[in-house]
Amino acid sequence: MSNSNIDRRDFLRVLGISGAAATLAGCGNTSIESGAELVESYVQPEDFVVPGVGVFYASTCTQCGSGCGIMGRVREGRLLKLEGNPKSGISGGKICGLGQAGVQVHYNPDRLTTPMMREGETLKPVSWDKAMAVLTARLGSSSALSGDQIAVLTGEISGHQKVLLGLLLESFNSTNHVVYDALSPTIGRAACKAVLGVEQPVLQIDKARLILSFGNDFLGAGPSPVHMAAQYARFRKAPRGTLIQIEPRMTLTGANADRWYAIIPGTEGVFALGLAHSLLQHQEYAHAVSADIAEALKQYDKDTVSEITGVHADALSHIAGMLWERSPNLVLSGPAAEGHAHGFDNAAAILLLNLILDNRGKTLQGQASHPFPQLTPITGSTGALTRLNQAVTAGKCQALVVIGSNPVFTAPTFVPFANNLSKVPFKVAFVTQLDETARQCDLVLPLLSPMEDFGTHVAGYQPAGVDLMIQQPLMERLYPETRGLGDILLDLLKQRKPDAYKAFPDYYAYIKTAVTKAKPVFRTTSSDDNFWEDALRNGVLHLDGPPAALETHAAAVKVDKPRSVVTDVHYPFYFVPSVKADLRDGRHANLPWLQESPDPLTTIVWDSWVEIHPTTAAEMQIREGDILEVQSATGSVMAKAYLFPGIQPDTVSMPLGQGHTAYGRYADGMGVNTFKIFDPVFDEHTGELALYATRVIIKKTGEHANVVKDEGPTALQQGRKLVVTMAADQAQLAKEISRVTQ
Amino acid sequence: MSLSNLIKNWSSLRVKRPYEDQYKDKDYKWAMVIDLDACTGCNACTTACYAENNLPVVGREAFSKGQAMHWIRIERYWGEGEEMKGRFPDRGAQFLPMLCQQCESAPCEVVCPVGATHHTPDGLNSQVYNRCIGSRYCSANCPYKVRYFNWWQYPERAWPNPLELQLNPDVTVRSKGVMEKCTFCVQRLTEAKGRARTEGRRVADGEVVTACAQACPTSAITFGNLADDKSQVARTWERQQIKLASDRQEKDENLRGYRILEDLRTYPSIVYMERVRDSEA
Repeated sequence: MSNSNIDRRDFLRVLGISGAAATLAGCGNTSIESGAELVESYVQPEDFVVPGVGVFYASTCTQCGSGCGIMGRVREGRLLKLEGNPKSGISGGKICGLGQAGVQVHYNPDRLTTPMMREGETLKPVSWDKAMAVLTARLGSSSALSGDQIAVLTGEISGHQKVLLGLLLESFNSTNHVVYDALSPTIGRAACKAVLGVEQPVLQIDKARLILSFGNDFLGAGPSPVHMAAQYARFRKAPRGTLIQIEPRMTLTGANADRWYAIIPGTEGVFALGLAHSLLQHQEYAHAVSADIAEALKQYDKDTVSEITGVHADALSHIAGMLWERSPNLVLSGPAAEGHAHGFDNAAAILLLNLILDNRGKTLQGQASHPFPQLTPITGSTGALTRLNQAVTAGKCQALVVIGSNPVFTAPTFVPFANNLSKVPFKVAFVTQLDETARQCDLVLPLLSPMEDFGTHVAGYQPAGVDLMIQQPLMERLYPETRGLGDILLDLLKQRKPDAYKAFPDYYAYIKTAVTKAKPVFRTTSSDDNFWEDALRNGVLHLDGPPAALETHAAAVKVDKPRSVVTDVHYPFYFVPSVKADLRDGRHANLPWLQESPDPLTTIVWDSWVEIHPTTAAEMQIREGDILEVQSATGSVMAKAYLFPGIQPDTVSMPLGQGHTAYGRYADGMGVNTFKIFDPVFDEHTGELALYATRVIIKKTGEHANVVKDEGPTALQQGRKLVVTMAADQAQLAKEISRVTQ
Repeated sequence: MSLSNLIKNWSSLRVKRPYEDQYKDKDYKWAMVIDLDACTGCNACTTACYAENNLPVVGREAFSKGQAMHWIRIERYWGEGEEMKGRFPDRGAQFLPMLCQQCESAPCEVVCPVGATHHTPDGLNSQVYNRCIGSRYCSANCPYKVRYFNWWQYPERAWPNPLELQLNPDVTVRSKGVMEKCTFCVQRLTEAKGRARTEGRRVADGEVVTACAQACPTSAITFGNLADDKSQVARTWERQQIKLASDRQEKDENLRGYRILEDLRTYPSIVYMERVRDSEA
């Protein structure tokens, strides 16, 4: 523990609340002699550093796009732990495991600590002077690139980072900002837009008496899971709401349902229309849809629906009855329902139920309009990457800037982005740690970690009013050879347009100016400096605002003849990927806490696995730990079998995010990369890649290995009364003492 | 407590515990309530514990041998009896956050040959690392299986530079051959008690919480002082008719509070609230 390469002086230096890195005051001889200044101890700690006492600084979590407010505990200049920021309306003082692990991004032993430049096949360390010389030669004042010759590839991004990237592109007369998200919500958002008039409605989970969710994992890997969890906690207090989940493979949300149903993947829309048909039998709902739709819905009688979906006909009537009885309720569509060739139609059919049940304004609302639309996030899609890939293939892209995106790892095999990258003459990546994509670039610049940099963020999901989240350094930089993204972008902009940016010596000055300029919107009388300091102290600038009204477009729902899913004799199994709330698309696989945090449903760690229903496994004589080959039309992977009862029996499931080959010691060689077996199936309406539509065949390899998991030899309580369950009508929740945040 | 004090006062220290009103006039008795209807099994608490208590990441191989060091873990069950009812778990999974129950009559304490695990005056079952000789009797005797042994010299391998900069300076980094377990974040308790003592008062309810309770996104974990009648934990225990010194609770049927494996007479300090399911759904 002693071979730290940070000296003690660096340790003691911590950013004060003003955000500026104060240096030790130098003592002028004359002023001391004259008595104007006192001699200060050489080891005088800086402001807010009291040895042995932890101080909390507010910032914003950047592990996902939720924009949770966090507090970093700092002691002796060292960041120790993250907590939720109680002043944040999004996190409400709580934090998830993924957020906690943010400190391991910062302290990761595989951080990139120096710029790297390509020399033949390998990347070699170079100085910043050299790296910036190369960068400015390509993208600086003398660059002749314009329009689509340059592209910036990022993940979901918001705030002033997004603004600076846009300005940089603008200086090239380009708008070619490609936002790629391998787990894109595009299809569901398009359906919401079509049916409700907004892409992302606000869910009032706590106000619902009944939630019917089609594969929506709002407690796990959905948008803003920490906020959703707090809402869910209130939903479960008296009067306790009921959750019904319908999905092919049990998600974390499904594991918390009062009733869980397995459904054949892709038939969620049929089930929803069956419910719609059943509900329309009630007089009060009859006016909700046009006569044409009501007529078309008659094809969706419960026996037809049951045959197509694999869900018992009685379940349909029962759920319809409960929806009618318990109002207001909330019907949610999720990725498992949306990731199909007719995913848009599925989602629209599910959302139609909210219109019939009149949930608008009760459990579903629009987001408040944002006063700074230039700061709101751009939602990523896989279509964006496909289009970029086409441009690269055609040789149109001359320079590519990659930030926070790893398409070499996440792109499916039929988008051969990795092979095409060599056609781009200049590729530069900005990273905190080398990954598969950065390793193929010509220049890689090491960024400050999110715990060392400034930033502003706007969440894609704004639960109430509007927040501008402030990210500030929680400690001094660990490595002198790392720089902030904003500073690098500003350097380039100064080259491109010296006059426009000369007022900003650095990114700190830029962001402080930009945020204080927003002051009038927040209707405060404090001075600019006080406003800025308050923003840093609170970590969030909040503005109340009325929720936007939702629209009603029942006509957007297509009611065709009920379609069965077509089976494929060569690939008899449906393949349902599972998105882990912590690893997500694999960008967090380098964090050891998350690798060792058991998957909640299977308790497996450090690996990939194949979930298969015990009855199917018995028919195929598969035991836990048998190594299976899962083969699709585009590729195959091998992993250990895990017998999992929460899955439709003709379906197998594997987690995403593992199988890295060049992402550091904690990620490499753990499991397999399931992105590489996706079939090229696209949603017919949006053209977006359908992630839940792949078909596979399972082959036994004859090999066997132990599954590394936390679960003991049995998944049964064997009468030990460890987890006791009470019927809801017996529990007297209203008489209990409870305290829930928010 | 020094070893000489321990030996000298052996018989008086080995009092029968618990007894009625044991903490009535005491300042502190730390306890917890975990609401299984609120717990979603998300693992935020377990990661928070790693961050707060310097738990080493052991890696795949050690994990496969059962050497994981998670002081709090989420157990997941599919059925209450000997088999799962039906083809699917159609009432969801049964999640159980399992951590040291800080038993009042702890089976681990009586078998320690060197007094390394003992009871503190504020009701914690504590582990004295520099007294532990690694006999592992305590772990064998723990019915909850929440004691974790350092099979390896983790300081040499679990925190490659600069990961060690994250280590909490308030918590010892344990070395090979030592048993460890959940402490109810005793470092936080000590700090809060010290601050309160300086100000001449008792620690207020909610002033100090464990790392798991602080992180929990659904606030399923409530931590507090059972000796303080007004604390949320004490009021919940009372409302749920759970008595610390009883091994068989006489309580109303519709109350959700219970203690796990209570009939072993461990007298745990954690009350769980039963998971609820809407059987009409």
